[in-house]
Amino acid sequence: MNILTSIGEVSWFILLVAAGVAALVGYLYSHFKFYSRSWFFPAVLAVFPALALAVFGGLLGGYAFKLWLSFLAAEAAIAVFFRYVVKGRHTVPYLLLAPAFVGLALLLVYPFVFEVYLSFHDLKLTTIMMWKNTGTLPFVGIDQYIKVFTTSPLSETTFWQLLLRTLVWTFSNVFFHVLGGFILALMLNNSIRFKGFYRTLLVIPWAMPQVVAVLAMRGEFHATNGFVNIVITRLLGFFPFLSHLGVAPVQWLTDYPLLTCTLINIWLGIPFMMVVILGGLQSISSSYYDAADIDGASYFQKLRYITLPLVRPVMMPAVTLGTVWTFNNINVIYLVTGQAGGTEQADILVSALYKAAFTYNRYSYSAAFAIVVFAMLFFFSVFYLKSFDAAKDER
Amino acid sequence: MKKELSAAAKRKRLNHLLIHAGIILFAAACVYPLLRIFSVSLRPGDKLVSMDLAIIPAGATFISYTKLLGDTMFLRWLWNSLLITLATSFIGVSLASTAAYAFSRFRFPGKKAGMILLLSSQMIPAGMLILPLFLMIMKLKLMNTYLGMIIAYSVSSLPFSIWILKGYYDTIPRSLEEAALVDGTSQVGAFWRIILPLSTPALSIAFLFNFTTAWNEYLVARVVLFSSKQYTWTLGLFELQGQYITQWGMFAAGSMLVTIPVLCVFLYSSKWLISGLTLGSVKG
Repeated sequence: MNILTSIGEVSWFILLVAAGVAALVGYLYSHFKFYSRSWFFPAVLAVFPALALAVFGGLLGGYAFKLWLSFLAAEAAIAVFFRYVVKGRHTVPYLLLAPAFVGLALLLVYPFVFEVYLSFHDLKLTTIMMWKNTGTLPFVGIDQYIKVFTTSPLSETTFWQLLLRTLVWTFSNVFFHVLGGFILALMLNNSIRFKGFYRTLLVIPWAMPQVVAVLAMRGEFHATNGFVNIVITRLLGFFPFLSHLGVAPVQWLTDYPLLTCTLINIWLGIPFMMVVILGGLQSISSSYYDAADIDGASYFQKLRYITLPLVRPVMMPAVTLGTVWTFNNINVIYLVTGQAGGTEQADILVSALYKAAFTYNRYSYSAAFAIVVFAMLFFFSVFYLKSFDAAKDER
Repeated sequence: MKKELSAAAKRKRLNHLLIHAGIILFAAACVYPLLRIFSVSLRPGDKLVSMDLAIIPAGATFISYTKLLGDTMFLRWLWNSLLITLATSFIGVSLASTAAYAFSRFRFPGKKAGMILLLSSQMIPAGMLILPLFLMIMKLKLMNTYLGMIIAYSVSSLPFSIWILKGYYDTIPRSLEEAALVDGTSQVGAFWRIILPLSTPALSIAFLFNFTTAWNEYLVARVVLFSSKQYTWTLGLFELQGQYITQWGMFAAGSMLVTIPVLCVFLYSSKWLISGLTLGSVKG
């Protein structure tokens, strides 16, 4: 393997960003020291591009150089704007923010805008060469959006089926995450032995790399070699009467792919909720419980009237986050069903979107699809945050 | 009176016993899949497909490990992942550290809008940005390169890192910087000499967070990298776990080699990571 070239390829990019940040910090530093000296500012603007040209231009060339220049240009534009238009006020915070926000604008905002552009045009396998060469695409208006609701992103599943499946998937996952997390947190929140040790074991599904965890779990749902079916077979061996009740090994991956994905994702997601809820439980002062004990409250009364209301403020943001994460979870479903010839019985909106783009190469279609999904998520978040704020005001 | 107390103590003991039993059950469910991978990785080649549930299989060998390291490009994949991940984390943390300082110490127009922008950027589904990023990378002719991957990854954890670092900077008393300013350093000098060294723990957490996110990423890598020489380990393992049951042992061995270090790092840093998570969510 060619380690030297790969180091070279990466290290100069690191160098670029490091140099950008160094230039920024250096400029700021001098900006303060030499604020009154009029020669300094133009000199910096002239010297840095010249240095960049000399050092990086010969060394790298190509895109790295363009990237570096655009980064520098953005910094310089901001500096000029604040030096001469705003007259030096707030220059420092804006320059400190600039690298991060230039990055976000290039790699988050621009792609988003580009996606909107794509959704009104027609980019697919047959037009991609044209786009590569000329950069233009046929305009199709809202055709792609109509197609989202009328045709299937995959081979047969329709948008509405996907939507329904997504809602079921999101709700069942979040419900069991919270339920499981709550039960575990309640159990851990006692003064028991080995508490730290238990906690460590319980966060393992979260701590494992998700790819490993999901692929390993997929193996456990394999029809003959998977743990689940082995256990079912052994149980049948011990208790033959169970087979009369309909207990039998199941073709998990082909017959019940969505259920399999859900089970795997529940297993993956419980530890996060447990940790968040445990944090909330530990912050509740024990004096509430002491008072309740004196009043003779039962365990469930304490749970209902003390624990739940006090854990809610910690839990609600985690539940919102969890809902959005689950809604957007491509990983689990793609890793379980994404192989060539894999089923589409388990696909939810986002995984169908990914497959439409990269398995079926329908780029513009999937862009429109993505915008629709985003709009749904956006309205959910706004609505949810509003109701959350309203609940806050009531208290 | 004494009798009553002992009854209560008895009940408490029974309760604790039940709790231990419950937790152990759950913990077993959490750990067992990992042990199963371990067990598969030790199986000799002719017994990969077996209904055996023992953790140390009969005739355990390390042959899967030697085959993985010798016959596949696993080390190369690890190397690719490491380079891409280190570069992204470095960029992510350096960008976040300055931005968070601005949010923590300055008042300026648009501060609140900026914070809201950061938070709401978390609402954009990651899956949605893969397509435009993929097209951008294609247009820049960066397909199948490290640089393409680094660009795609570099800002993904930025909002979260800024959030964590801002929270930490907020806890550092301003009087420290003021003292330095009186002594004649500039604001940036104070940031460089006082704030950054003091916030090493938060910086390392942000670094670890960036690192694990990029290290475990799969979906972007799937579409940007297409030659197995350039694969990251996630792509490589997915390939090994494919239809061929013969490669199961190697998949398991690779999983173990990747999981153990990640697990150690996570468990070591989880205390801070979690406090950062809950802090952010409570405030948000």
